[in-house]
Amino acid sequence: MDQTKTKGYKKIKQWLKANGRKPFKFQEDAWQYYLNGYSGLVNAPTGFGKTFSLFLAVAIEALNSSEANGKKAKDRLQLIWITPLRSLAKDIARAMRETLLELELDWHVGVRNGDTSQAEKVQQKKSMPEILLITPESLHLLLAQKGSSTLFRNLKCIVADEWHELLGSKRGVLVELAISRIKGLQKLEKNQFLRVWGISATIGNIEEALDVLAPNPETKRIIVKADLEKKILIKSILPDDIETLPWAGHLGLKLAYKLLPIIEKSKTTLIFINTRGQSEMWYQHLLNIEPELAGRIAIHHGSIDFELRNWIEDALHTGQLKAVIATSSLDLGVDFKPVDTVVQVGSPKGVARFLQRAGRSGHSPHEISKIYFLPTHALELVEAAAIKEAAKTNNIESREPFIMIFDTLIQYLVTLAIGDGFDDKVIYEEIKNTHAFKLILPEEWSWVMQFITSGGDSLSAYNEFKKVTKDEDGLWKVKSRQLAMRHRLHIGTIVSDAMLKVKFISGGYIGMIEEFFVTRLKAGDNFRLAGRVLEFIQVKDMTVVVRVSKQKNAISPSWNGGRLPLSSNLGSVLRKKYNEALNKTHQDEELDAVYPLFLLQEKRSHVPRNDELLIELINNKEGFHLFAYPFEGRLVHEVLAALVAYRLSKLLPISFSIAMNDYGFELLSETEIPMDESIAYEIFSPKNLTEDITLSINSTEMARRKFRDIACISGLVFQGYPGKYVANKHLQSSAGLFFNVFSDYDKHNLLLRQAYDEVFYQQLEEPRLAAALERIQNGTIIITNPKSFTPFSFPIKVDSLRENMSSEELEQRIARMKAESEKIK
Amino acid sequence: MTITSHGEELILDKERALYLPQHQLLAISDLHIGKSAHFRKAGVQVPSTIAQNDLQRLSLLIDKYNPKMLLVNGDMFHHGLNTDIDEFYEWRKRYQELNFILVKGNHDRLSKADYNKMSIEIHEPSFCLGPFCFIHDAPQCTEEELYPISGHIHPGVTIVGKAKQRLKFPCFYFGNDYAVLPAFSAFTGLYNIYPKNSERIFAITPKNVVQV
Repeated sequence: MDQTKTKGYKKIKQWLKANGRKPFKFQEDAWQYYLNGYSGLVNAPTGFGKTFSLFLAVAIEALNSSEANGKKAKDRLQLIWITPLRSLAKDIARAMRETLLELELDWHVGVRNGDTSQAEKVQQKKSMPEILLITPESLHLLLAQKGSSTLFRNLKCIVADEWHELLGSKRGVLVELAISRIKGLQKLEKNQFLRVWGISATIGNIEEALDVLAPNPETKRIIVKADLEKKILIKSILPDDIETLPWAGHLGLKLAYKLLPIIEKSKTTLIFINTRGQSEMWYQHLLNIEPELAGRIAIHHGSIDFELRNWIEDALHTGQLKAVIATSSLDLGVDFKPVDTVVQVGSPKGVARFLQRAGRSGHSPHEISKIYFLPTHALELVEAAAIKEAAKTNNIESREPFIMIFDTLIQYLVTLAIGDGFDDKVIYEEIKNTHAFKLILPEEWSWVMQFITSGGDSLSAYNEFKKVTKDEDGLWKVKSRQLAMRHRLHIGTIVSDAMLKVKFISGGYIGMIEEFFVTRLKAGDNFRLAGRVLEFIQVKDMTVVVRVSKQKNAISPSWNGGRLPLSSNLGSVLRKKYNEALNKTHQDEELDAVYPLFLLQEKRSHVPRNDELLIELINNKEGFHLFAYPFEGRLVHEVLAALVAYRLSKLLPISFSIAMNDYGFELLSETEIPMDESIAYEIFSPKNLTEDITLSINSTEMARRKFRDIACISGLVFQGYPGKYVANKHLQSSAGLFFNVFSDYDKHNLLLRQAYDEVFYQQLEEPRLAAALERIQNGTIIITNPKSFTPFSFPIKVDSLRENMSSEELEQRIARMKAESEKIK
Repeated sequence: MTITSHGEELILDKERALYLPQHQLLAISDLHIGKSAHFRKAGVQVPSTIAQNDLQRLSLLIDKYNPKMLLVNGDMFHHGLNTDIDEFYEWRKRYQELNFILVKGNHDRLSKADYNKMSIEIHEPSFCLGPFCFIHDAPQCTEEELYPISGHIHPGVTIVGKAKQRLKFPCFYFGNDYAVLPAFSAFTGLYNIYPKNSERIFAITPKNVVQV
């Protein structure tokens, strides 16, 4: 069907024309493909109306149809719009409502997520709106409701907005599973018209992104790519003197004064900071150095109360704010027209994320996005140069989709069981058709079913286990109301520590902080939240009660957000930049600025060339350090360090503590580390790789750490819920305990295996590690013995995560540790 | 490992038990029988073998020391009656001669009749023997003359060494004012304790008990 002849298309064109606009080609393409029954993916830069490419497609179809309105309440739902962030939903809903009103299409737009009131949810249950904006978690919560299986009868389209953001996470698997169920429900009704679309920024594996969203190759699928380019201007904020910047750390506050003129001459500036704790510090610091900014800047992050965030977002729209300090909470698609400048403080760790943030400024088509990079330590200047180059060559990362995620599958099945129940044969077929579980084996499926119905396999009896049982109608259901309630509270795959709401004694919520942080506070202590200094009074009814403090300074809570690892794309560009820095064969001002530091590195040790691996051996009071710099990103270094430590520990009984960052890793031992050229080539050898990695992963905590999330997602450990903390002492336990218990008593547990698989496949990317080792074997290994820490080694030493590896007898270790330190903590 | 405290010889067993040879008394704490079944009833997958294994370890200890008395220093049963406790009852019947003493803890809430049925002698709040006062939670001890031996907190110790080395173990704590026994059950976590200088800590490794 040619859309240009349709009633709906004509009406849309007319409406656009009346507003002095005309559609981009990619929008018209998307409309046409949609009308022709295609599923697909829209790929366009921000600011060019990606939302309208799909929302209007559904509207055109509705306008073409005579029976668009006046349906029975149950059959109304037409479009499900999945957004990863709550803050996106509100703005998209507003834009949709305005458009529908002008098109005289009598449709309702509903929002459903963690911020939606209970009353509104009940209203929605009575009568669904035609368009529902929803997060992946809330969509699963919807499936967990009785009667939900009848809601999707008339659904025409599911859109996954910002799909690149969901793709590489377990939340993407939630989306895949929900889609598979809705499709299945429609099949029961013999409906075949559901189309699934994604909206995605440019990523390295866009074809695969479509495959995950619409995995059936027999359906009509298409990628609609906008032939438009967004111009981006990238500028680094350079220190006048490299000594101004610390060798390591996070702050870079010393450069903050350089932001003031930028803020002043811009309409509105968004300042992105990687963690919530640091954003609080920056807010305070900017106010300290420029009191004039009071009332004109704000702070926005995920732990700030919903109302307050709403207010900030509204103020951003209307241009009342000069600057907003934000974390990833403002990363995605929200269109704040007045924002014309973006500042990134500290490394964004990936090209895609950096470009995404840049796109927050100059949001309208053909405007230029302007982004400043402010380094927080000296070596980040090299990262800035690398990011600029990667952005220029469009060297953008892939987002690897998760597969065989049993924790999420288990959660999903229980979700269905507390809703309308499920038939295991039907669901097995449905999930086998998803990208995430297409490789699932029948025995794995039956293990998963056993896990939720009888507790586990028959080899390790699970007496009295009660969760999912077969009902008289032959469907698997959860009968216990208590169990259902507990499950609903923890649907989702984002695992965080228990959070408590923070409230003024005089009334009014400010935000949330981690329970762990609260337990360390005494009455009268001060801390910072939402840019204010607050005095802790007490915890009452699971709420932290505070008053405004008279103090000017206070500690910032450290929210345990995940640290971002450097992407592999950026890693290789970075290695190249390290090469160029000393040679002066480059055009980068950042590298000029950091030149003195490289001279010092060369003087104290060595600056590795592209075909060299540098190993530094440093001996000091702390012990014997071995630093190596493969530039492969933190995740790969974590595994590589464990591998090297494991191989060294085979030579003699020795214990290591291991640290790593994006450039390299450190092994630290109390006794001398055996090292010469032949040992070096040996321990960095690609020989016996798979076997040695398996053994080294087993002897560190990596799998155990992965199991933390797995235990929560699969419902083994109940963590409560932000603001809805439920204490249940009799059921308290920890992921670590379950890890031990399963390791000892139920070795075949698939969740345990998943923990190891996550290390092995997702973190490690074995081919990448093998390639790195090949590169090292064929190159030169340089071993130096610096007298003190070098510019390269210092950041690893002070700023990193730690692991342990040992081949010594425990009793011996204790004896030695005791003898040498006599310090017990 | 054998130590001396308040003039008496005490044997610290790596299976998380304390033996007093003079009194032929075997003492353990925080057995938490029924905990795993309680979890399973609530839909959390904990293998039953974990409880069976606890009882097996206890059997081995009884064979090894051949005590007259077995004292559980509180939290013997985790919650209500369930299949784990049925299994315990069967196990209990094998040791008719053994005097079974329970010093009540915060989790022990079965009825008198239930304890009677399983031939468990109840002591509340404490059971005193020689210079020692066995009590679940040490601060609640009122016997000022005696040295309290408690449980309840599931003590663990972290040893920090040079070169950022760090190890964590369950432990026995013999402090200036009271002692704490490790939790016997394998399905328990650890609570870190920080001893003062003159106090003794014994870490439990898979093979040994080691003073640290």
